Amino acid sequence: MIRFARTLQRHWDWRAAGNFVFGGTGGMLLALAPFAGSDTAAMLATLAALALVGTGLLCVWLEIGRPWRALNVFRHPQRSWMTREAFVATVAFVLALSGLVLRSPALSWIAAAFGVAFVYCQGRILMASRGVPSWRPKEVVPLVLSTGLSEGSAVLVAALVLQADGVPTWLAWLLAAAVLARAFAWARYRAALVRDDAPAAAIALMQRMHPWLLAGGTAVPLVSVVGALFAPADVAPPAAFFGAICALLAGWWFKFVLVTRASQLQGYAFGKLRSGHPLARSRTAKQGRPGAAGFPEVLPGDNR
Amino acid sequence: MARTTEGTVRKVPTYCYQCTNGPDLLEVEVVDGVATKVTPNFHACGVHPADGKICVKPYGLVQKIYNPHRLSKPLKRTNPRKGRDEDPGWVEITWDEALDTIAQKLNRIRDEGLVDGNGDPKFAFTTGGAGTPMMFMGAFPAFFAAWGPLDMSLGAGGTVKCKHTEHLYGELWHRGFTVCPDTPLVEYVVSFGLNIDTSGGVTSVRRGADARVRGMKRIQIEPHLSVTGAQAKEWIPLRPKTDPAFLFAMIHVLVHEHAIDELDVPFLKHRTASPYLIGPHGFYLRDPDSRKPLVWDLRASRAVPYDTPDIDPALTGSYAVEAVEVGADEELWRHEGVAGVPAHAHLMAHVATHTPEWAAPICDVPAETIRRIANEFLSHARVGETIEVAGRTLPFRPVAVTLGKSISNGWGSYECVWARTVLMVLVGGLEVPGGLLGTTVLLSQGGMDHDRMGTVTPGPDGFLDYPFHPTDRENWVAKPTVRHAYSTLIPGTGDGPYAQAVGSSSLTWLRFQGRAAPSWPVPNPPEVWFVYRCNPLLSFSETTRLGETIARFPFMVAFAYTHDETNHFADILLPDRTDLEGTQLVRLGGTRYEEQFWEARGWALRQPVVEPQGDTREFTWIAAELARRTGLQSEFNAMINAGVCGLPLKTEQYDFSLPLDAQHSVEEIWDAVCRAASVDVTDGEASDGLDWFKEHGFRVKPFSRLNWYLYPRMVELDRRFELPYQERVLRIGQQLANRLHENDIDWWDLQLHDYEAFPQWKDLNALWSDVYRRNFDVDIGEFPFWLLTARSMQYAWGGNVGLQLIREVADNVAGHSGIMINAGKARSMGIDEGDTIEVTSPVGQTRGRALLRQGVRPDVIVMIGQFGHWKTPFAKDIPMPSLNDLVPMTTDLIDGTGSSIDAVRVRIRMVERAK
Amino acid sequence: MTRYAMVADLRRCVGCQTCTAACKLTNSTPPGVQWRKVLDVEMGEYPNAERVFVPVGCQHCSDPPCLDVCPSTATRKRDDGIVTIDYDICIGCAYCAVACPYQARYKVEKPAFAYGKSTPQEDAGFDEARIGVAQKCNFCVDRIDDGKAKGLTPGVDPDASPACVNSCIANALSFGDIEDPDSNVSQLLAENQWFQMHEELGTDPGFYYLWDKEKL
Repeated sequence: MIRFARTLQRHWDWRAAGNFVFGGTGGMLLALAPFAGSDTAAMLATLAALALVGTGLLCVWLEIGRPWRALNVFRHPQRSWMTREAFVATVAFVLALSGLVLRSPALSWIAAAFGVAFVYCQGRILMASRGVPSWRPKEVVPLVLSTGLSEGSAVLVAALVLQADGVPTWLAWLLAAAVLARAFAWARYRAALVRDDAPAAAIALMQRMHPWLLAGGTAVPLVSVVGALFAPADVAPPAAFFGAICALLAGWWFKFVLVTRASQLQGYAFGKLRSGHPLARSRTAKQGRPGAAGFPEVLPGDNR
Repeated sequence: MARTTEGTVRKVPTYCYQCTNGPDLLEVEVVDGVATKVTPNFHACGVHPADGKICVKPYGLVQKIYNPHRLSKPLKRTNPRKGRDEDPGWVEITWDEALDTIAQKLNRIRDEGLVDGNGDPKFAFTTGGAGTPMMFMGAFPAFFAAWGPLDMSLGAGGTVKCKHTEHLYGELWHRGFTVCPDTPLVEYVVSFGLNIDTSGGVTSVRRGADARVRGMKRIQIEPHLSVTGAQAKEWIPLRPKTDPAFLFAMIHVLVHEHAIDELDVPFLKHRTASPYLIGPHGFYLRDPDSRKPLVWDLRASRAVPYDTPDIDPALTGSYAVEAVEVGADEELWRHEGVAGVPAHAHLMAHVATHTPEWAAPICDVPAETIRRIANEFLSHARVGETIEVAGRTLPFRPVAVTLGKSISNGWGSYECVWARTVLMVLVGGLEVPGGLLGTTVLLSQGGMDHDRMGTVTPGPDGFLDYPFHPTDRENWVAKPTVRHAYSTLIPGTGDGPYAQAVGSSSLTWLRFQGRAAPSWPVPNPPEVWFVYRCNPLLSFSETTRLGETIARFPFMVAFAYTHDETNHFADILLPDRTDLEGTQLVRLGGTRYEEQFWEARGWALRQPVVEPQGDTREFTWIAAELARRTGLQSEFNAMINAGVCGLPLKTEQYDFSLPLDAQHSVEEIWDAVCRAASVDVTDGEASDGLDWFKEHGFRVKPFSRLNWYLYPRMVELDRRFELPYQERVLRIGQQLANRLHENDIDWWDLQLHDYEAFPQWKDLNALWSDVYRRNFDVDIGEFPFWLLTARSMQYAWGGNVGLQLIREVADNVAGHSGIMINAGKARSMGIDEGDTIEVTSPVGQTRGRALLRQGVRPDVIVMIGQFGHWKTPFAKDIPMPSLNDLVPMTTDLIDGTGSSIDAVRVRIRMVERAK
Repeated sequence: MTRYAMVADLRRCVGCQTCTAACKLTNSTPPGVQWRKVLDVEMGEYPNAERVFVPVGCQHCSDPPCLDVCPSTATRKRDDGIVTIDYDICIGCAYCAVACPYQARYKVEKPAFAYGKSTPQEDAGFDEARIGVAQKCNFCVDRIDDGKAKGLTPGVDPDASPACVNSCIANALSFGDIEDPDSNVSQLLAENQWFQMHEELGTDPGFYYLWDKEKL
């Protein structure tokens, strides 16, 4: 198809990217926090998660043109995933903090669910952006979720290594599974870009990123983190840490590029020529709108 | 209407005159004394051909008022040294001081003599915009008229950037200073580079769009795919400067590959000189007694004068006749039984070898395409059909051949305008509904009123009259009257008020630089030089050299909007009241260029829409002040009374004339003109003055559509179009040659070649090769690209290059940010989008960003418009080059009508990668 | 019912940008913001190059992606189909701008003027409410409403019509009610071939392009 002016969007810059970068990590970290181990660990993880989500939202706040009207963001829950994201974030904060203060695991677990929901909202925010073909495919949601999970678990792994606490086996396997899921989601996403005739520049950029994401974002974390399970005690922690950092940075890098570099706009195009008044067309009946009175009926085959 | 609503919002009617296509009507919304927006004047709906709309340029006029860079006070130069790198040292002065200084210089001229030792006027005036700004200078032309000899030959670009040859020959042949198709009716237009959708103004665009939707097809033949080409049915990328070959081949197809009956035989026989018999010396065979050109009457089988009634003149064949031939300087040959061949048969012989197969390799266009276009042209011409217009039955020929300005100036332009008009004549499509029409008359007498009909006057040999300058020994203007010697060197310029504008304005500069006319002295600079609405330092050729020339001028006054490259050299700057801040009534409607064809005509007023910004003054006031200070007040008023401001202020019907011995205000003068105009438009019913026009903006009366076409008048007066054979031109050329050689002038010999009865086809690319070798001692092969230019509607003639709004919107149109080059060619040279390329000709160099395009021939690069500013605020930061400093100014490139082309052969190289 | 739509005839448009300039002047948009503009599009390969001019701007979609994503409800759609922005509610998140597949929306962070400092004309049109929020073509909704209040017909009477339509010198732009079978736009659409841009995205724009060439 002839398309033109598929230029890079410049409305959302590093600040908007920051929301996805930090918020995606934070949301999933929040989801894992109740299972971080000790109460202290859980608390620290929860606070770190909220800090990450908060940082992301602060980035957005820095970007909006009317920051002192920010509360208007809540006004459109019926349709807007950004409103929903804001609600979910608010509820997550309240629940998570309450959970900590009241020492309520139940609240923490519900907060954890809201953490996941938060990242899901982020994926849906991208998917609803019909102006950016590389954000639109539904495959972007599993990708955002899986990278969020990869990053959240990576942060937890890294934090636990730094705390000199051990990395629980389940967490190591979770991180491994997450990066594998991410690789799979990444493959499906890239295929979707081609399927949907996304801008060539975006596809090319993803193509160039692919070997690095595969290597640094999937292979290295897999080998390092899983290998750490079987490695000697002095090698395991640095290996796990290294693998976790790679998994984290790969996700951050990908999201930054997706938002700020691989976000070419839909551009313009011509369309299929049609005949007859648009409101008389039979397709309007399919859309649930009857052909408006007074318009001559268009018979099938009248279109070129 | 100028209404007030609660005293806050007014809609002020006025008109736009930023380009040659105006005036067009508009309204300005003024809120609390601030101009806020421009809108069409919809009161003109149904009257104006574009329903009261205006093009993009006037929407920038509000910004033009409030541009912080505009000058608001008179300025005086304090640094006597002039040069690009010299700071003029401007200081503010009062109007009194400015006008006193100017008047002092002018009075010295009046005291010592209006012309100098060479006979050239000491007072000179230059304007741009094809001379049209002079029509919008308020009452200033009355001051010029009162003054006396004025040199207007120091050109700003005209004759190099205009449709020069079309001007002269169009007027000669069919009163068409410019021509256009009868767009509302035309069906097939063959356009050689006419970028009418950018250059033709709002009426051209509207008429063209309506025509396209109706089914009109335009074939656009040009080296790059212009804005106009975008909407054409077909783009044919012919090699630059090969249009004559294409056109000659089209004639060949019509006269050699079709039966003669397929052409408009009645038109040829009775409305043209096609049956006139040509003698062995190339002149008409004339009746020995009456000296009338002879034709061979097939009915009576004998030769008779052309105007014998009820004849059937032959178009082909050879006939023995007894006749005389009158050559140059009354040289006479008597013939008994000489073979007389009709001009049409000569035409056939002339194009016999110019087949499409011959043209194809020259033009780089397949022969089949050329042939097909010619055949389509003929079939769409509907020869024999008629149409009703205003109750009259007229021939209907809905085809036209149009030419861009780079095809109508310089070498090859005579071939093109001739061939184009011959094509029209062959199908009977000249000056008839659907066909090719003249728009306005500026050179022949009586044509300034937007109505060509009054200029259709009988001339010799059954043709129209034309005010050629004399070339006979007794009357030839041996001593030039202005510095480009138009009446001496170019007989076709005529002697109307516009004549100087169609002389060879490059010649003036060449003479100043000692590079032309060696047998004449180098002219003295004018003692006083006024410039208005022009920027020759930017818009002419070899512009750097031009700067050195004018730096030597003793006293220059510029009407200045902002500082610019030309007024950088001035001695006094007078701040200009812009388009929306002055007062003037002008003609409207009738027929005018480029495609202003109305069924109404009348008058329109421009008026100040806001209080004047700064200390700017009206032209009319400045003129009156200068008139008073130079003792010309009575003459000035007399000129206004005589009609220089539009129409006479006193006739049998009315007397609004101004007393001669007083200085009249701007309002007084224009009120009188408005009253006269009201009487004119209402046939005496009303005589409303300035206030009426300030409220209503314009006033018109019906104008018959029949007046769009010359054909009915030609039939009425039994006139023939002077085509195809240019016998008069041949004689004039030989006489001119005689005069020049008798006066030891051989430096104009090249230009004499253009006075052929049938233009010979020339290989123009070879001609350019010769010019390069002779003038610059280089092989043109080292300059493999043609550098061309193209119009930008957003800027053309607008005087608006410093306006941010215009820059912003123009940037949406391709070509406004660099140099257009064929993408494949560029890449093969390692040049990528955005890379800076250096462009070099034998005389100059420039650089710009490469814009890779598919719609450009690989041997062509295109620089749109005229940029390259270095002083004009805002414009100097636009990264756009101009070809003007690269185009050589040489008499070798000046054609017989005094024009040359703004195009040049160059080489390019990449100098910097895009960031 | 009434459903306003714009029709752009690509056979007529010559890319002159008169509509671009008229819109800027009428709506006092700052440098760089063009609610209406015309694209200059080149296609094909030499010597078979083609060129076409395409007016673009907000398409006032029936199913506007911008409306769905707007978190503050600043973006709304009227019953007559015109999509508007309430500048006073908008938080300037620019989500609508990335949601719009027609690049119709702008956000201006701070006041900007043609020559740095504002001129009287720019002062007259400056609206502080439009700083930091989304802005776009609104089909000159104020002109339409004011005109209708005076009994005028949008798309027919200039005082009730968008500035771009009024200004178009090729008569390429038309505006009117497509739910009125006798309106100017209805007749144009019934009598000519047309397309909608990005039909596959399901936005169902209130902007139709008349053309006689299929360039897919």
